[in-house]
Amino acid sequence: MKRLLLLRTSYPTSSRLVATVVLAVLGVAITFTLTALDDSKLAGGAAIAIVIVGLSWLIGWSGQVSLGNSGFMAIGAYATAIWANHHTTTPIIFTLLLATACGAVGGLILALPSTRLRGPYLAGMTLAFSFAIAPLALNFPSLTGGSGGLFLNFLSAPTWFVNLFSGSQALIRANAQWTADVAIVVTAVAFFFMANLFHSRTGRAMRLVRDNDVAAELAGVNLQRTRTLAFAISAAYAGLGGSLLTLLTGSVTPQTYSLPLSILLLTLMVLGGIGTLSGAVIGGLIYSYSDNLVSLINKTTGISPTSTFGANLKGIVFGVLLILTMLLAPRGLVGMGSRLTSLVRRPARES
Amino acid sequence: MGSFLTSRFITYLLGGISSGVVIALVALSLVIIWKSTHVLNFAQGAMGMFAAFVGMNLVFKGTNYWLCVLLSLAVGLALGGVTERVLIRPLYGKPEINPIVVMVGFLGVIESAIPSIWHSNLLPVPTPFSQVYYQNNGHTILISPFVIFQVVLALGIMGGVALLFQYTNLGLKMRAAALAPEVSRLLGVRVNRLLTLGWILSSGVGAMAGVIVSSGQSLAATNMDGIFVSAFIAAAVGGLESPIGAITGGLLIGVTESFILGYWSSNMAPLAGVIVLVISLAIRPQGIFTRNITRRV
Amino acid sequence: MIHVEDLSVSYGAVKALRNVTMSAPTGRITAVLGTNGAGKTTLLRAISGLVKPSSGTIHCNTTALVGMATDEIARFGVGHVPEGRGVIAEFTIEENLRLGVLASKIDANEGLERQFELFPVLGERRKQYASTLSGGERQMLAMARALIARPSFLLLDEPSLGLAPQVTAEMMRTISSLCTMEDLTVILVEQNAKSALRIAHEAVVLHLGSVIASGTAETVGDDSDLRRYYLGLVQ
Repeated sequence: MKRLLLLRTSYPTSSRLVATVVLAVLGVAITFTLTALDDSKLAGGAAIAIVIVGLSWLIGWSGQVSLGNSGFMAIGAYATAIWANHHTTTPIIFTLLLATACGAVGGLILALPSTRLRGPYLAGMTLAFSFAIAPLALNFPSLTGGSGGLFLNFLSAPTWFVNLFSGSQALIRANAQWTADVAIVVTAVAFFFMANLFHSRTGRAMRLVRDNDVAAELAGVNLQRTRTLAFAISAAYAGLGGSLLTLLTGSVTPQTYSLPLSILLLTLMVLGGIGTLSGAVIGGLIYSYSDNLVSLINKTTGISPTSTFGANLKGIVFGVLLILTMLLAPRGLVGMGSRLTSLVRRPARES
Repeated sequence: MGSFLTSRFITYLLGGISSGVVIALVALSLVIIWKSTHVLNFAQGAMGMFAAFVGMNLVFKGTNYWLCVLLSLAVGLALGGVTERVLIRPLYGKPEINPIVVMVGFLGVIESAIPSIWHSNLLPVPTPFSQVYYQNNGHTILISPFVIFQVVLALGIMGGVALLFQYTNLGLKMRAAALAPEVSRLLGVRVNRLLTLGWILSSGVGAMAGVIVSSGQSLAATNMDGIFVSAFIAAAVGGLESPIGAITGGLLIGVTESFILGYWSSNMAPLAGVIVLVISLAIRPQGIFTRNITRRV
Repeated sequence: MIHVEDLSVSYGAVKALRNVTMSAPTGRITAVLGTNGAGKTTLLRAISGLVKPSSGTIHCNTTALVGMATDEIARFGVGHVPEGRGVIAEFTIEENLRLGVLASKIDANEGLERQFELFPVLGERRKQYASTLSGGERQMLAMARALIARPSFLLLDEPSLGLAPQVTAEMMRTISSLCTMEDLTVILVEQNAKSALRIAHEAVVLHLGSVIASGTAETVGDDSDLRRYYLGLVQ
């Protein structure tokens, strides 16, 4: 985590590259120590972290709110499944890039009219979009598989990787770890690009647009182009995340990519910390272990997970956490962390 | 004449109007909140549905329907006031994304809380009016006494809100507090109270929309999701500031969706709404019913 | 009377008022003069509770105003006609006036008739939108709207701004006669020192947030240095 924070300070690209490689290697090394279950949880969290960092970029850096990123995830997911079912031998990197591009194009189409709008209008428009995506998939069952969705071969480990493992569970463990490692590497690359984007000219222009669009315009920033770009990048990240998630789970269904997922993405991003890379990582980890969190609450409070209340506990807990974070600590866990460290380091300045 | 009334066109038109009045009602409630506090309440539909659940569940237990409607209304009014005081008031003066995020969170809480409070019940809520459609020479006209009741009630509420804003002292103060809060304060108007009142009123309207939607159907926490999205589109097309625009927009969206649903596919209706919004905003971003206003720097 | 004691107001790092002490005696017009950015508007906004002072007190007779909400202060009897007049253009003249009287205990129709007597031009056009009024008429409307609740104190922020000299002179005469008729305590903030001093009894000069002179309108108006450097009046 400390290394990730390092990414945020303005070091040149080369040191960001070094940090990314170190972190990716570290991440992959950790997967060797984990169980198959933890590995697959981590893989899912990594895919979600990619979506979160795209959303974080949009909300935290350009000040636009999107409730439509679950829709862009769906675009990436369907693109992946449809492509993979027709071209089984395509290298996964190509599939991922294709899905990313599809997400970006989707974002561009929606962004062209809506980035002229501000705040609530845009949020509402993207909500309407994410609401329309699942029915749209249902309407073309020959392409999308209708309500049953599509299935594809999920990622499986190459032979040399399986050979690293032994024992009766070798294949299961190898596959789980392979998907986790692929997810970690893809996430590392995505985060590397985002870290550079944060510090690029575009990134700075974006912040100016967020804080004072009139000043930005006077400074020669093209508002519409900047906002459209921010939106398309966010959608591209959602497409990539959706694609990765599809490759991990081996299926895509329209119900997955509906309003609750958009709410969940927003919650995870806010909980981690808006506009930060480490916040997106935290958000991804929370996603990975949210079921553990809920069962922990079940255990400590004695609420049965099969009762009506227990079954809906996750939604309630996340909703309440989102509200409380926004009201009490709008910078999320990352903000709380940095406030804590600055308290420890400089107690005098607080007075 | 008979064949005209039972033609597909008229059938879809009537269906569109009866769903359009509910959309218009929710759109109106969004505009009331937007005008007073500049918050787009993403939980509006869910809040209305919560209020509807409280009242309408008692109908099954034999409680008088009208009493249950009043109970839902009371819950809706109270919920609006509490929400403004607890969730929205701390956020005045903060970035505009903060109340959006908070209300999205509230939406999630309500939609998870409803099924955890009330067991799922697929029975339709009994209504005081017959739901049997009128017939003409063996063909169905898409009107029943209950549909007439729904439309009349919705129009009545809209009329009541319009009268309140246009012709009462309270309405004058509410409009002033929305248009010029500082000047209103200087004239002794209790602006904070009126902002809360705006939420109370809006949430009451939302609760009535929830009641109208739920009557004659089975109750579900997400009943209002689609209506909320359509209502947002209606309000945005009308410009979010204009009650007349929201009501007109609501009816237009209702009819448009009904035609798409009828002539094409129900799955395409939500996308049609998005397309209507995209086109109308591309032509007139500030809304069709709003005068050009230069944004203050 | 209005008494301000040791009042300081900051906007972030900028100090808009520094330890201002001044009094506006009952039934008289006190002019607050000074150039742009002297802190005149901030002083009025602090009295009305629109900005929170960082230190100091404000009293209306014996009532302490600091800490009271703006609408409470208004209902207590402080009328404030803000800079730019604050007329609601989307409302009719009658609606604007009605808004002014709703928070008070005064009967709305009685109040309206009284203001229409004082300002006949408003009565003639009561059903028209305020956006149709000229600058001078808008100022009349803003004053009528503040007066309709029968305040004891009246704060006027740059009433002459944007008005032709003749209209300004008429405006000042109206303010002067209102002060006598209604027994008002008036604080008149003006950049236009010449016309303000013509009707004021007392005068305070602010410069960069501090009081640099105060006294009767004559003494302030006769001080040649003040006239030249702070009031923009060249002999």
